[in-house]
Amino acid sequence: MTRYFSRDKVYYFRRVLTNPADAFYEIRHREQGSIPLALITVFIFCLCYTFNNILSGFVVNLTDPRTVNGLVDLQSIFVIYMLFCIGNWSITCLMEGEGRLRDIMTVTGYAILPLIITTIPAIIISNVLAANEEVFYSIIIGFGVAWTALLILIGIMTVHNYTLLKTVITLFLTLVAMLLIIFLALLLYDLLNQVFIFFQSVYTELILRG
Amino acid sequence: MRRFVRQAALAAMLVILFSCTAPALAAVDIPYDSYTYNYREYIEFTPAPYVPAGAISGMTLGVGSFKNPQDIAIAPDGMIYVADTDNDRIVVVNAEMTEAVAVIETFDNDGERDRFNRPFGVTVSEKNLLYVADANNNRVVVLDGEKAVQIIDNPQSEMLPDDYIFSPLKVAVDYADRAYVVAQNMHQGIMVFSAAGDFQSFFGTIEVRTTLWQRFWRRFSTKEQRERQILFITREFTGVDVDPQGFVYASYIDTQGEQAVFRLNPKGEDVIKTGENGNLGGDLLYRPSQAGALYGASYMVDVIIRDKGIYSLLDSKRGRIFTYDNEGNLLYIFGGLGTQAGTFRAPCSLADAGDKILVLDTDRQEILIFSETEYGRLINEAVGLRYDGDEKLAVDIWRQVLALNENLELANVGIGKAYLSEGDNREAMTYLRLGMNRTYYSIAFKRYRNDLLKDNLGYILTAAVVAALALYIWNTVKHKGAGKGDLLTDD
Repeated sequence: MTRYFSRDKVYYFRRVLTNPADAFYEIRHREQGSIPLALITVFIFCLCYTFNNILSGFVVNLTDPRTVNGLVDLQSIFVIYMLFCIGNWSITCLMEGEGRLRDIMTVTGYAILPLIITTIPAIIISNVLAANEEVFYSIIIGFGVAWTALLILIGIMTVHNYTLLKTVITLFLTLVAMLLIIFLALLLYDLLNQVFIFFQSVYTELILRG
Repeated sequence: MRRFVRQAALAAMLVILFSCTAPALAAVDIPYDSYTYNYREYIEFTPAPYVPAGAISGMTLGVGSFKNPQDIAIAPDGMIYVADTDNDRIVVVNAEMTEAVAVIETFDNDGERDRFNRPFGVTVSEKNLLYVADANNNRVVVLDGEKAVQIIDNPQSEMLPDDYIFSPLKVAVDYADRAYVVAQNMHQGIMVFSAAGDFQSFFGTIEVRTTLWQRFWRRFSTKEQRERQILFITREFTGVDVDPQGFVYASYIDTQGEQAVFRLNPKGEDVIKTGENGNLGGDLLYRPSQAGALYGASYMVDVIIRDKGIYSLLDSKRGRIFTYDNEGNLLYIFGGLGTQAGTFRAPCSLADAGDKILVLDTDRQEILIFSETEYGRLINEAVGLRYDGDEKLAVDIWRQVLALNENLELANVGIGKAYLSEGDNREAMTYLRLGMNRTYYSIAFKRYRNDLLKDNLGYILTAAVVAALALYIWNTVKHKGAGKGDLLTDD
């Protein structure tokens, strides 16, 4: 248990924020990361995302409360997260990346942290904003997004021991891989469905004839 | 004592009787849905603002049935004029709508008896002169009683093509006796005629707007495809009305369903106000493609200006009447197509008779009467008070509206705005938020926030100073402790 949840591992988040390149290097080579902690980070981000849709101030919140569904948010964010990790892993495997799947998952999960620590103040601040001041809210959120993007870039770069250019190329290819996975999954689903329907109709036929 | 018992029994009986009949009364068959669109463009059903109150036809008036009637107008004295097009006559009905006071079939044109030939449009000026758009005679006849005082025909201008045939369909007159004519096949705008009857200019002219995307596709489409696409022509005007200030309201066909009415200032520019959603095109939700019988945006065939800046539009596609206030807020929607009493088959013209709305139906050949309910009256009244600037008085009425329809954003905004102008920002915020009005909510919120800051500035600053001090002390203490620790480990 301490392997995943030790005090040092939790405090390690601070190092990710202040010194990302070193921190990610140690995640790869000195076992400083923890997959459960990364998953918890993603989970907290899902909560923040839903809370942002529900609780952010009336002036900035254009979301229809009837469309907010925390479980759907949770599912979709986790699906995207896993798609990204698996897509990246499958690409970097072929491109001499040094990172393992657990490194990619840890690094991506840890990189979402800035989004959490900007969304919470953004929600609070949005409740004291009036019209024409929404820009503060969007600046905070935008800052978080940019920070996270930077951390993912640094993380992938460090974990795989890539150059910047190669990282950007692999990230682009990761996107392609994600689309491919979705396509294949849908194809598989459809084919299995047809097989299922085939057996079902055989069964129905037997029941009715027999 | 016995008398008291009897009275009590009577009262109890009455209560029981009314409690039985009240739901029945509430559910009186209104053959259409009344609704409005809320902030999120969902349909919200409302109590009926207007209910059917009978119909009048040529038969009930004893003048023989109407034949393809096209227009009705109401004179300042309350008389109703019906353009009975295919019978080539104008029927004048008294204000009580009980009998026909006159049937104008012929009139005195410079000493000769003259007749109409398919009169399409009719209107009455403030001076009680009757303007008839005599379509197949290519003229507008101005009548005083049964005597023609002016004939507007044969417009001359270099803006008009040489072979132009003037065939007026609808006509409206302003306080200065200028006539605004919607003519057949005249897509350049509404034709404006001076008091002397000379053609002056076009009104409501707008250049054809095509998007870059449309032009891109047109470039790649074949000739046959292009022929099947919608023609990019300018507005097709359908109805016209002039308000007492001289602004011209003109309805037109908007296939995009965004804006189906203009409010034209004397320069001919559109100065209409739109509400929060920026839409003045009738229905927001409709079948977009040719999937069913009723598809596409509302098809506005007429506009009437009512009291206090309120105006109504008539949609012939789905037989609905849309009412907006002077700020462009949708007030209520009612009416529907059908065969029952109180529904339309082919509505073509609207008129406003005080607390009643009249709709002329070409196909049914009758005028359908709709009378105001309490709900409709309260909304009209509250909007009128706001129009006059008596927002405070409107609050009570809006509250009564809320009692009838709790979800009406309009009423919440009305109350909120009144509180805002009164200076009660907290209450204003509550109501404006219920009414989903971000602009005014922000104003109220800003003021509330400033007041809050002003009142509590002392506490806030004190708290900040205390916090800073505490942080400073804590830091010092901690550093001392850490220093000691270091020393110990060094030893």
